[in-house]
Amino acid sequence: MRKPRTPVIGLEIHVQMKTESKLFCACSTDYIGAVPNTNVCPVCLGLPGALPVVNRKAVEYAVRTALALGARIGLSTRFHRKNYFYPDLPKAYQISQYDVPLAEGGRLPVGEEEKRKWIPITRLHLEEDAGKLVHSARDGRLGNSEYSLVDYNRGGVPLMEIVTEPELSTPSEARDFVSRLRQLVRFLGVSDGDMEKGSLRVDANVSLTDPQGGLGTKVEIKNMNSLRSLERALEFEIARQEECLERGEPIRQETRHWDDGKGLTRGIRGKEEAHDYRYFPDPDLPPLVLSEAFVEEQRRLLPELPWDLKERFVLQLGLSSEDASTLTELPGIARYFEGCVREGASPNRAANWIRTEVMRFLNEKKTSIENFPLSPEKLSRLLARIDKGQLSTTLAKTVFERMVTENLDEDEALEKAGAIAGKVSGDNLREMVKKVLEKEGPTVEEIKSGRDSKGKKRSFLCGLVMRESKGQADPAEVAKVLEDILDR
Amino acid sequence: MNAAEMAKAVREAKISAVEIAEGAIGRIRLIDSDVRALLTPLFERALEKAEEIDRKIELKQDPGPLAGVPVIVKDNLCMRGQVTTCGSRMLENWRPPYDASVVRFLEEAGAVILGKANMDEFAMGSSTENSAFFPTANPWDLERVPGGSSGGSAAAVACGYVPLALGSDTGGSIRQPAAFCGVYGLKPTYGLVSRFGLVAFASSLDQVGPFARSVEDLALAMNVLSKPDPADATSSWTTRPDYAAFLGRENLKGMKVGLVSEFEDYPVQSEITEALARVESILREAGAEFVPVSLPTTIEAGLPCYYILAPAEASSNLARYDGVRYGLSAEAESLMDLYMKTRGLGFGPEVKRRILTGTYVLSSGYYDAYYLVAQKARIRISREFRSAFEGADMILMPTTPTLPFRKGEHQDDPIQMYLSDVFTLPVNLAGLPGLSLNAGYSKSGLPVGVQFVGPKWGEGTLLAAAEAVERVLGKPTCAFGGEKA
Amino acid sequence: MPIGKDEILRIANLARLFVSEEEIGPLQRHLNGILEHFERLKELDLEGIDPFAFECDTAGSSRQDAVSVWPGREDVLAQAPNREGDFFRVPRILDESDEVHLDECR
Repeated sequence: MRKPRTPVIGLEIHVQMKTESKLFCACSTDYIGAVPNTNVCPVCLGLPGALPVVNRKAVEYAVRTALALGARIGLSTRFHRKNYFYPDLPKAYQISQYDVPLAEGGRLPVGEEEKRKWIPITRLHLEEDAGKLVHSARDGRLGNSEYSLVDYNRGGVPLMEIVTEPELSTPSEARDFVSRLRQLVRFLGVSDGDMEKGSLRVDANVSLTDPQGGLGTKVEIKNMNSLRSLERALEFEIARQEECLERGEPIRQETRHWDDGKGLTRGIRGKEEAHDYRYFPDPDLPPLVLSEAFVEEQRRLLPELPWDLKERFVLQLGLSSEDASTLTELPGIARYFEGCVREGASPNRAANWIRTEVMRFLNEKKTSIENFPLSPEKLSRLLARIDKGQLSTTLAKTVFERMVTENLDEDEALEKAGAIAGKVSGDNLREMVKKVLEKEGPTVEEIKSGRDSKGKKRSFLCGLVMRESKGQADPAEVAKVLEDILDR
Repeated sequence: MNAAEMAKAVREAKISAVEIAEGAIGRIRLIDSDVRALLTPLFERALEKAEEIDRKIELKQDPGPLAGVPVIVKDNLCMRGQVTTCGSRMLENWRPPYDASVVRFLEEAGAVILGKANMDEFAMGSSTENSAFFPTANPWDLERVPGGSSGGSAAAVACGYVPLALGSDTGGSIRQPAAFCGVYGLKPTYGLVSRFGLVAFASSLDQVGPFARSVEDLALAMNVLSKPDPADATSSWTTRPDYAAFLGRENLKGMKVGLVSEFEDYPVQSEITEALARVESILREAGAEFVPVSLPTTIEAGLPCYYILAPAEASSNLARYDGVRYGLSAEAESLMDLYMKTRGLGFGPEVKRRILTGTYVLSSGYYDAYYLVAQKARIRISREFRSAFEGADMILMPTTPTLPFRKGEHQDDPIQMYLSDVFTLPVNLAGLPGLSLNAGYSKSGLPVGVQFVGPKWGEGTLLAAAEAVERVLGKPTCAFGGEKA
Repeated sequence: MPIGKDEILRIANLARLFVSEEEIGPLQRHLNGILEHFERLKELDLEGIDPFAFECDTAGSSRQDAVSVWPGREDVLAQAPNREGDFFRVPRILDESDEVHLDECR
């Protein structure tokens, strides 16, 4: 029986870890913007005689990530050498892990609630990053360059490679997976997960099942540096393979580059299968042996995982699934939100304000929550005023605006906004209400004769009083005074 | 004077470090044009260092246990700012920007490094004929080889330039030249001495060790060299003993010395068999007890196992010489061209042979059949040694099957040359300590060496036994002692 | 099965090692000699041996995540065969694949 062709997608993700120093030497990992070849030493330059010593923190980070994914940690694993010549690889081999990776198994959820699907992880291992090449051609393309320049600042930065089983079936699932993984590494604090900066790099394997449901030929796609380009590249590649097969052409097993500008994938000349990496255990590095106690310590250090946190926000705090998702996207935002709730803010109001006002500010200023000027405590105090009816939402937003842009404290901001709630109150307010009622005789009569069952007319009067007070009365008090006078 | 006596005299201000250095330099200038042990003399630097030592003495500071002792180090040990060639065109002008840990240990202990010793290119060879620059001669017979790959270091000690020299031993490269040149050579337990700054040949087999003309000096050198090094992940954290404490034993009562039954049939030159017998009787006399031990497959399996594993590691270790960052770099039109030409021009024939062998045995489809089988054989050899040491404290065996051979004798048949290491390389495969000592001279005046092999961390036993032999046979004499100097 | 000339060229290419026509024959003989020697190993009983079971008392050794700046950078760049400013320079990269080069050779 002919079945429709289904895409089969697997991902290979390289995550750069946020350690201070490189995987095998004491050079800084902070290479972005650094003068070329400054974060270098005999070890990461591959000078004769230099030897690698593994960075404990990188192992901890990788173990924590593996534990968060529910993977099995290998208590005794090895480093291998992957041998090939390229100028960005100073020893002409990359130290990586091969037959026995640091962790195997595990899974990561994609999709929401009832549509949630757990994507199995094949393995997670440690390896070192390569240096960077700058090609001389104006367009920066290798093919047009007379020569290339090498910078080893990135060489030796710790990476973890995470490989999934080929169980993703749509481009959006793949996108969701990467986004979840990014969220996870950010929550764990092991990587900044920034695809644009290259701290999270995704290669994808795509094939289409044949009409009998059997596996098709796998094509590897590289060079996708955003979630969007990952999704687009996969969509393009699936369509391309479908068309090929429709035309009766076989799929070539190859590596293709995604061209984001042109929106297409292109086969690269070199044949990947031609490589013979001659893997063998690195004799400079003893086995990576971890104790049960070490692993347990790392487990203890795991924060609440983002998907658990989200569930808790929905179930315990009554947030909508959408709000909860947004708030758990970044660990800083989630912590900020929890801070507000701890300070007594109502979860829904806090969620709403963070999603709108706070995030708008962060976007406009292109900054992160860590640099946000209002502490959760201050925001909570402001929100409490709304809850108590001391401030209208509109006024509160003005006050918020002044607090964050002019760096004012709450009282100063309230004053500048001319919005000290309750400034018109007590006897003054009573006088003001009486004056308004005198002008609105017919409406008062209608209310008194019981023709305001829906309370619209009372609201109308309230509004008039508020306008009269130039917003400096407390709406709740206005309502109470109005009630008092009318009911007499 | 041996190193211990020199250091004592310098520390007691009976002689200055500069006087000692000048004496050594004079001897090198007199003799080395024939022997050619030195690749790079560092005389000026040495005299400056010696002055520093003397200043310390004047200021009543302690320059360390090797105060003013002149030493020569093999040219595969990095010295900051000093040409370090590894005997290769590839690194002809390379000046390392850092010191090997052992070089630092030596200088911190007050040693004065006089120069860099000649060696087989990248330590691959058993005759020092594979040096890209010139061969070194055997100080006892200039027509013969000094052994290798640390031939320059061994010859320097044999000629009496210096009381101590450093070599490296991957399959016998300290012990075989020590035997050929008639001096002591100690290859320590793997992990005892730091490899940081030793230009790698085969990382799982390489160890740095000393050459000397007295057992006391070997112990002194080991006390300086064997320190845990955080820069070398394979450097053991085991607490090191005071090696001098193993010396001065009245007798060897209670020591069990193993003789390998399987080695009896192996063809060894008669002078060596006689030397073994001589040493056996000395040790017996000193109270040691002899027991037969068995290493059933070691001699059969060792050579093929080694000549798979060492080239495999070497092929990867030497891949970094690509003309991009340092060293030789050929004129080239393209990157591939740069790689092929640089490596084609920069490496000599023996290095090429080993790189190709190593690349082959690791390549797809051959890894399991060669590399993995050899690795299993290696484990088996280790286990054979381990069981042998259950009944013995050390083993007495030949260092080499022959006396020093003539220059050019094995140049057409590399595998014949490999056989020179048949008794030394299993010791590296098992990661054990081995000490080669002089046990007399042949009728033609060539030195004859024998080897002590110990269990892991068994250096002390080897030193104690060597001292017992030294008491009877005397310390090795300097070559050319009565001729030129 | 002895190693032929093509195989020598394939390995030399993998090792990025130019070998001249005259070198091929001796290299072939040498490699075949080594492998012939190796045949002895195959007669050994190696059943059940874990090839990586060697004792290792440094297992698990690691370093702390602390940065230190290495002062020798200029010494390295000054010796670079082909330096351009702060960079190491390499000639035109035609193709990274092993096979393509071999095709050119044949």
